[in-house]
Amino acid sequence: MSGPHDLGGTKVDAPVPRRQHAILPWEMRVDALMQLLSDPTRPGGPLMSVDELRRGIESLSPELYRSLGYYERWLHSLIVIMSEKGVIERSELENRLADVELAHEREHAERGER
Amino acid sequence: MSAEHAHSDRSAEHLERAFRELLAEKGIISDAAVSERLEFMYTRTPALGARVVARAWFDPGFKERLLEDGSAAVTELGIDIRGLRLVVVENTAVLHNLVVCTLCSCYPRMLLGLPPDWYKSVEYRARAVREPRAVLAEFGLSLPGDVTVRVHDSTADMRYLVLPARPTGTDALGEAQCAELVSRDAMIGVALAGSPSNVL
Amino acid sequence: MTPRFHPGEAVRVIDKASAGHVRTPRYIRGKCGVVERICGEFRRPEESAYGRYGGGRERLYRVRFAQHEVWPDYAGPAEDTLDVEIYEHWLEKREAGP
Repeated sequence: MSGPHDLGGTKVDAPVPRRQHAILPWEMRVDALMQLLSDPTRPGGPLMSVDELRRGIESLSPELYRSLGYYERWLHSLIVIMSEKGVIERSELENRLADVELAHEREHAERGER
Repeated sequence: MSAEHAHSDRSAEHLERAFRELLAEKGIISDAAVSERLEFMYTRTPALGARVVARAWFDPGFKERLLEDGSAAVTELGIDIRGLRLVVVENTAVLHNLVVCTLCSCYPRMLLGLPPDWYKSVEYRARAVREPRAVLAEFGLSLPGDVTVRVHDSTADMRYLVLPARPTGTDALGEAQCAELVSRDAMIGVALAGSPSNVL
Repeated sequence: MTPRFHPGEAVRVIDKASAGHVRTPRYIRGKCGVVERICGEFRRPEESAYGRYGGGRERLYRVRFAQHEVWPDYAGPAEDTLDVEIYEHWLEKREAGP
């Protein structure tokens, strides 16, 4: 079986899309986090490998693989790998995400925005 | 951009922040380390690759070493490539090289920065290995049949940089001026090095 | 460890199913090519992808394939080629042939 990532030679009847989006700060940070987690010079050794990043991405369902943005796939994978290793707990990430979203809503409310 | 996609970006942004905050609190990755890495990433642009190409055009000895061992030769120029295993492939009058990563998006980031969106697209990754000439034509490069096309699928540990042919009419130009003729796309292989009229 | 294959040698990519992470694209399995160069030794992705970094290293080759061998319906000259990096444990010998 090959995963949703194994695209070489797949019959795709569409031109290569040439539109470029401006890379967003959070996307750059996801990239930086990946580099830091897999840095071979990291004291105590790297916490993960590029192969693990890829494995996490490849384990996405084909539907999810195509619907997520490029760095969303990376982020999803980083979270999977760090959860597997016990570096973070899923529950604490969910709690933190709720906090972040609440803080975001509050900031917007203060600025009188919707 | 659709509202749905915008929403997805927003939630990804929140998730990134939550994840990063946890890593920082646990002492895994500091904010300072992230900032430092981002600064380094901003120093990686196609100008670095262009410098390598122009040097190869001007210094045959360097070109020979570059084709023999890309990483060692680039390091000679004082460019920090952090473990990059580089293979440089040369375009000639009878050979054109094209780089793709069908499995993900492997790319010589140390010399070109982050890959463009099209390089990461399903369409490019699916088609570049199977119908490279059609893909090249879409990029405006229709190659005659007597030019061989050689595709490189960066499936594993090596990264590829195309050494484009030096355009004609550049004899009067210096090395730095020549570097300006070398686009990112020319170093991926979907374009040729530009003509001097583009910069002069 | 001496390399099992050498530049210029005819090889075939092993055609087998894979479960989990590998770096041998589906499209190249079972195809015949010629070793272009030995790239060095690297962590085996099948191990590294699951957090096992300490294991043995695998030799990596760059193998050159004729496009018409890879895609029987390839629309281009017979000289067009495709280079793919393949680890040693995914390669087998073949008798040089047409």
